[in-house]
Amino acid sequence: MATSATGAGLAPQTTALLPEGEDADGRSRRVRALALQRAIGWLAAPVCVPLATLAMRFGFRWKIRNTAESRALYARLLREDPRPLLVAANHLTMVDSALIAWALGSTVDHVLRYRGLPWNVPVQSRVESSWLWRVLAYLMKCLPIPRGGDRRLVAQVLERLGHLLRSGEVVLMFPEGGRSRSGRIDAESIGQGVGRVIKELGNCRVLCVYMRGDAQRSWSNLPAKGDTFTLAVRLVEPRSELRGVRGSREVAAQVLGHLVEMESEYLAARP
Amino acid sequence: MAAEKVFEKVVEILKPYAKDQDALAKVSLDTNILSGLKVNSARLVDVVLAFEDAFGIEVADEDADRVQTVGDAVRLIEGKLA
Repeated sequence: MATSATGAGLAPQTTALLPEGEDADGRSRRVRALALQRAIGWLAAPVCVPLATLAMRFGFRWKIRNTAESRALYARLLREDPRPLLVAANHLTMVDSALIAWALGSTVDHVLRYRGLPWNVPVQSRVESSWLWRVLAYLMKCLPIPRGGDRRLVAQVLERLGHLLRSGEVVLMFPEGGRSRSGRIDAESIGQGVGRVIKELGNCRVLCVYMRGDAQRSWSNLPAKGDTFTLAVRLVEPRSELRGVRGSREVAAQVLGHLVEMESEYLAARP
Repeated sequence: MAAEKVFEKVVEILKPYAKDQDALAKVSLDTNILSGLKVNSARLVDVVLAFEDAFGIEVADEDADRVQTVGDAVRLIEGKLA
């Protein structure tokens, strides 16, 4: 049976992801803040999720092929196995997380099974660029992550992601750490954050998602209006015997390796 | 290994990753690796792995989080070598 994750279920836990020197009060505060954000997001979901879907479907006229298969697989993964589930995807536009959430569940799915709407980690500077972004990010399960700043702050975000995953929530991460500037997955641009989260959890499943629009030749802010997306998914369980930073890097490299393979398969099949 | 030797080796390792070579020429223990030397944050992992290889040490993720300045790196390595 799948683990349920209500707001009340997001109880404080000690985690190896925490940087040393972190006090228990700080951890508890962050966990309570997460539970509050989830509760408010859940209340807003009957409005926010349909609006987001309407904007994608009718505003931008985007379509995704074969969503029935990917949604059925995702539902089964959530239902049948209580182990943490992380979604790792390629990254070409600023709305990839919304598109992937749409591909993995319908509006009704996400409203009624709110834990299946993945948390994601937008760049903090982007979220803080306007109040609209801040509000939307808060309501739509976003945990902003600083880029290029204090690694201890990044570690705090990773700690919260680990906590969410242990609590039965799903987290979406982009192993490249940013949009692919070449339009192809950049195997050199590999962060260790995704690997660190997976490694620390120990029993994490990873749903690799490769998604690309027919009109997407490179990265951009938004996909072209009317674009149709192809989605490929692959469930993996990356592991490493290595410890420390090297182990995190190896796990991240395994995930990115799967995405590179999926991209090759996609490009080979593309007309 | 003496602290000066560790410092020199750390600076040598940072050289290919530092986008600000002028800052590297004036590097000190207080120089911030990301904001001072303009090392790409994604490359910081490569730097830490290079420290592991060069000094034969193992660095935990939590230890790597504390490396902000060149001095932090030197102290971390010295601690591992002690």
